[in-house]
Amino acid sequence: MAVTTTTKITMPLTLIFRAICARCVFLLLAIGLSLPAQADSRNLAPGFGDLPKGATILVMPPDVELFSISAGGVSEPKADWTEAANTHIHGALEKKSSSLGLMTRELSEKDADDLAEINTLHAAVARSIALHHMSGGNFALPTKDGKLDWSLGNAVQPIREKSGADYALFIWVRDSYASSERKVAMFALALFGVGITGGMQTGYASLVDLRTGQVMWFNKLLRGTGDLRDEESANETVKTLLAQFPESK
Amino acid sequence: MNKMFLIALALFVAGCATVKKVESGSNMVSEHLSINIEGNWNHLDFPGIKPAQVWTMEGVTVDEFLIYSGIQGGQVMHPENASSSKLKNFVFRSAMQTEEIVSLLEGVLSRDNSTFKLLKLEPYPFGGKKGFRFEYERIRKVDNVQLRGIGFGAVDKGELYALLYHAPRLTFFPRHQARVEAIAKTALIR
Amino acid sequence: MKRRRFLAAGGACCAGLATNNAWAQAITEYAAPHRFDRPDLATDEGGLWALMDREEKALRRSPLVVRDEKLKTYVQDIACRLGSDHCPDIRTFLVRTPLFNASMAPNGMMQIWTGLLLRVENEAQLAAVIGHEIGHYLQRHSVERLRDIKSKTAFGQVLGLFGLVGALGQIAVAASAFAYGREHERDADRIGAFLMHRAGYDVTESAKVWNNLLQETTAREGKEPEQTAPLFATHPAPPERRDDLVQLAKSLPGGKAGGEAYAERTRPFLDGWLQDEVKRGQYAESLVLLSRHIAGGVAPELMRYYRGEVYRLRGQEGDQDLALADYRTSALNPNPPPPVFRGIGLISRQRGQREEALQALSRYLELAPEAPDSAFIKTYISELSS
Repeated sequence: MAVTTTTKITMPLTLIFRAICARCVFLLLAIGLSLPAQADSRNLAPGFGDLPKGATILVMPPDVELFSISAGGVSEPKADWTEAANTHIHGALEKKSSSLGLMTRELSEKDADDLAEINTLHAAVARSIALHHMSGGNFALPTKDGKLDWSLGNAVQPIREKSGADYALFIWVRDSYASSERKVAMFALALFGVGITGGMQTGYASLVDLRTGQVMWFNKLLRGTGDLRDEESANETVKTLLAQFPESK
Repeated sequence: MNKMFLIALALFVAGCATVKKVESGSNMVSEHLSINIEGNWNHLDFPGIKPAQVWTMEGVTVDEFLIYSGIQGGQVMHPENASSSKLKNFVFRSAMQTEEIVSLLEGVLSRDNSTFKLLKLEPYPFGGKKGFRFEYERIRKVDNVQLRGIGFGAVDKGELYALLYHAPRLTFFPRHQARVEAIAKTALIR
Repeated sequence: MKRRRFLAAGGACCAGLATNNAWAQAITEYAAPHRFDRPDLATDEGGLWALMDREEKALRRSPLVVRDEKLKTYVQDIACRLGSDHCPDIRTFLVRTPLFNASMAPNGMMQIWTGLLLRVENEAQLAAVIGHEIGHYLQRHSVERLRDIKSKTAFGQVLGLFGLVGALGQIAVAASAFAYGREHERDADRIGAFLMHRAGYDVTESAKVWNNLLQETTAREGKEPEQTAPLFATHPAPPERRDDLVQLAKSLPGGKAGGEAYAERTRPFLDGWLQDEVKRGQYAESLVLLSRHIAGGVAPELMRYYRGEVYRLRGQEGDQDLALADYRTSALNPNPPPPVFRGIGLISRQRGQREEALQALSRYLELAPEAPDSAFIKTYISELSS
């Protein structure tokens, strides 16, 4: 089990990304932490404002992991928290879509298996959007001209064929919580002027038009607060994640 | 962790990473290599990139356009990158034949345990010199994305000039391939 | 509760081996725990298990997984025989990566990398590694390890990894943090040896696996063994371990090596695995590996061709001669791999031996007209002809 994660340590996606992650992502962290999760026109593709009423959204199986951080900083996966989070996210999404008059559909595991390549493709695009579009000006791509302008093109056709939906919603969340020992450690270290993270909530949500492959709406989350473990706080997190989600008319 | 935050903040102040616009038109990539581009590109500058330049259209996790210009004999490809992760160094030698250069580039691209498959290798007048063009397939280890790529190269006065472009085989490689081929056509090594 | 029962079973196995030297005494009876129930979600074990379930899903969808049914079944069957009652819980995944590695997650997911399949010489050696991993699985070492790490309060051991990844990437857990301790390693070795023996394999083969690996890793100058074999990051393997395995084997005699069966089943894949190996650019290690296989008579025409390639690519003084020698020997084989002639042609061309180069490169294209580099080789041929 352990060794399979070795490759995740050398997680950079390309030659350069390896270098980025070693240093600059900390930078991102610094920027991200200082900026609240802002929702504005950056979240929407140009010219896209509303979802047509009656549109169907396919909710791709959310990729969610919740961890607990022990005193020494070991991240430990928490299945019960993750399961609870999945339930809450699911519930919040349902509420959201019914309030918008939208229909949701879900993908079976078998279908998700078949669509694996498109999923991995979307994940790569989402990471670029998060880095180059949502993270303040530092990494903005001049050719995108400040716009949310990414499209998966006809790669999404198989999703549309399988589901008949008009849009697909992708959700990815990684969330960690300081255990009580960790909180004690934080307090102790703070006395010596050393700051360590208590826990971070990071994730994105992305809405893709299945007719064109265009990413119509995107939101990124990166903060030191938020809780997906209990229903009320989870609803708040989902609300933040889905901030500026297009209305339906 | 604390030390890393300090480094991060220092880099933030120093501006460790930049993204610049590359304008349409003639471009002196380096002292000896010029190319002509139609439509703008994005030039990413990060530590650990040398001796290449990296451009992208869709973002660093999607597509990557690597420009090697005037790599000298004995020069290590991406040394900072390698040392930080204790990986194999690939060194260009001036006397390298085409097939050895392709192997060198293959090695550099496989260093992170991604796979590499050569699809085609043919002669090509790159930069006005006797060079080569090749096509390849890769599966990126870290996130399983399946990529297609093209490369161009030539050696002039013992120095290597090369262009590599790869992007996901779905949608993105087909979208940008023609532009990269066009750029390669306009390359001039002086 | 189930947990007490398995601990008791584990305890029973190790109870009599209190002294340091006694650990190398083989176990002649091992009562494996009963099949594991899915642990409570709220427990740490449950957390790990569920995380591994998600890892497994990702793995199942990965293009890097070997999908050949026959090979998968072959390896799965070996794992099944070793795991016996636990067979239904073990799911084998073969992953295309040119490094020596195998691991087994608490939920029964087993990964074996193609670099390992390339390196073991027979079924027994493969069984040794699988048996060892099953040993960790049966004794639930990963969970113990997680608990152990949590109890450490070394603030310096911070997994900035979550921070490192920050806004974008995946969460990772440090492999070294999950490294098995020496006790776990010994247990797994003992259990693995027992399982091997019970399944009819020759336990002396297990020491050879480590020995071969050590030879390879010492060939690499100045770097950590973990880079050749990520397995070493989680399975510390000092030289004593090899000796201890030899001792174990003495008390568990007999059994087969299964060399022929293994060679037959893996032959169709060797070419691809060898290509991946050479691309690593770790010439010193590749040479040790290839020379070992050549000496062992494994697919000689293929091994010699690839050793020739390594010499040619390394290009140190004298390497071209060595490459030519290997290429030529391979070419004598009734079914040489076509690129062997390319190799001869390329070196001859570099040496200015036009006739030889022309002949060899032409032969290459004759045998492999659809080769990816055919257009390129044709230009060499026309240059040499003019």
